[in-house]
Amino acid sequence: MTTALVFLVLALLVLINVPIAVAIAAAALVGTLSFKGSLGLYSAALKMFDGATSFPLIAIPLFILAGALMNTSGISRKLIDFTSALIGFVRGGLAMVNVGVSLFFAEISGSAVADVAAIGSVLIPEMKRRRYKSAFAAAITSSSASLAIIIPPSIPMILYGALSDTSIVQLFVAGILPGLLGGFAMLCFCYWFAVRHDLPREENFDLRRLWSAAKAAGPAMLLPIIILGGIFGGLVTATEGAGLAVVAALFIGIFIYRELDARQLYHALIDGVTQTAVVMLLVATSAVLGLYLTEVELPQKLAQWITETTSNRYIVLMFLNVLLLLLGTILHGAAAIILVVPIVLPLIQHVGIDPVHFGIILTLNLAIGQQTPPVASVLVTSCSIARVDIWQATKANLPLIAVLFSLLMAVTYLPFIPMTLVEIFYR
Amino acid sequence: MSQVARLFRLSLEVITIGLLVILSVVVIAAVAFRYSGSSLIWYDEVASVLLAWITYYGAALAALNRRHLAFSGFLLSLTPPKRKVLFFISEAVVYAVFVTMAWASWFVLRVMSGETLVSLEWVSLQFTQSVVPIGCVLFILGQILSTPGAWSRVLSGRSEDLEEIESEIARQQPADPPSSISGPGAGK
Repeated sequence: MTTALVFLVLALLVLINVPIAVAIAAAALVGTLSFKGSLGLYSAALKMFDGATSFPLIAIPLFILAGALMNTSGISRKLIDFTSALIGFVRGGLAMVNVGVSLFFAEISGSAVADVAAIGSVLIPEMKRRRYKSAFAAAITSSSASLAIIIPPSIPMILYGALSDTSIVQLFVAGILPGLLGGFAMLCFCYWFAVRHDLPREENFDLRRLWSAAKAAGPAMLLPIIILGGIFGGLVTATEGAGLAVVAALFIGIFIYRELDARQLYHALIDGVTQTAVVMLLVATSAVLGLYLTEVELPQKLAQWITETTSNRYIVLMFLNVLLLLLGTILHGAAAIILVVPIVLPLIQHVGIDPVHFGIILTLNLAIGQQTPPVASVLVTSCSIARVDIWQATKANLPLIAVLFSLLMAVTYLPFIPMTLVEIFYR
Repeated sequence: MSQVARLFRLSLEVITIGLLVILSVVVIAAVAFRYSGSSLIWYDEVASVLLAWITYYGAALAALNRRHLAFSGFLLSLTPPKRKVLFFISEAVVYAVFVTMAWASWFVLRVMSGETLVSLEWVSLQFTQSVVPIGCVLFILGQILSTPGAWSRVLSGRSEDLEEIESEIARQQPADPPSSISGPGAGK
């Protein structure tokens, strides 16, 4: 009964625009006070600190700092130049450039809005100038940026890994194949779209231009290779890799590109710190809620209840996909991870789903959630840049959502897609 | 009020950026020391405490800028009188939660007297965990100082998300287009 009241309070408070972290804390306090009285209050106070000290999550502010340094040292422009020289001559090339750059760049800084604003403000006006419809330009920018959250380094994966005590490195590795597969599907869609709408080839292939663009973008492209190579090679942990990313981005910005803009960097840092704090406060307050849920053994009871109905992992996965897709339409990604993971984790373990596999499924669901209004900040950002109505963009986005959904189904029911590399290198 | 808010914002910005820089230096130094064969034994504990400090000072900054994740769709779909009532309830909930947590964490701090970090025995837990009551008070201050702006947004039916997106796009506008896209061969 109290547990129902806790979730009712949570839902009502979220509905009336109370910050989700505060709504979680309020609901947790209702539960813990009714369960343990004032003693529960002191446990909650202790948990508010402990919840914010999760060591693996230190990677989040560091990757955000590295992303801010990259964003302000002109790296996005150099990547666009290079990708444009590489595939700009293909029919639909500019849309493909958009996909390529997004996959490489987006989600590093932790703020999908900031990344889409950085990439979209350059590419969307250019796409419109080349006869691409505004709605399509907004849709491809938004969808490709969302797909990027399954390509390492990914902040949602770090969050999931820390909450579920799953190896962040294995999650990063598991995201590579699905990410490349999704990226390839999106490139194919861009080509098909360009042929169908008779979009022209934008430029001729020029080897000299490709070489000079590659030289300029080289250090930027080296950055993830060094960092991910270090992490995957076991030389550094994910947190240390994030520290390495900061050093590398600083070195490239100051000594190679010499373009670090102090004012922009300051703003990016403030954004980064704010973003970190927003996520971490959610983590801290959800730790308080977790304390209550553990005491009443809700996750275990839920797992038992569902497995009494069915222990077929594919049906359980279908149920989880529906739940996550619904949550993704009304909640931001971080909030959805924090609310769902502690509750469903015992269920996943009970039916024998690999937590790494589930991490990729969860992340892909969130990518789709970023594309579905009303809460779709990435889509809203690209619509604002393209100056197009969000419903028009959503219509144009449907085939791309279908691509993401097909990828989700493939990853869910063909576990070898995310797990092959993990099995080869880590098990 | 706006001058106080500006000063408050600047102070929080300086503190949070300072903490982020210190955290980065600690992590990088830890890697360097580990490879030189003399690991820093206090690294994990200190870095975790720094993360908690970034969380609470940054959360106050986010409260001041109204950047905490929320769902405004339902509230903004209501008529202005209903919106006003729910706005007051929502603000009251925030104050109630943080006043309660500030009081409880202050009580817990007193109980912790004499306890220290495991790896650095000269650093008291009262000092490291003081960030929770301080952070709660700063959060309340941030919420109070940002109330006038939030109130006018609720009256006009504008969401905070939309404002964040508009300011982010405005900041990106001066960016030059990449040379190759607007260069020779373009538009062929």
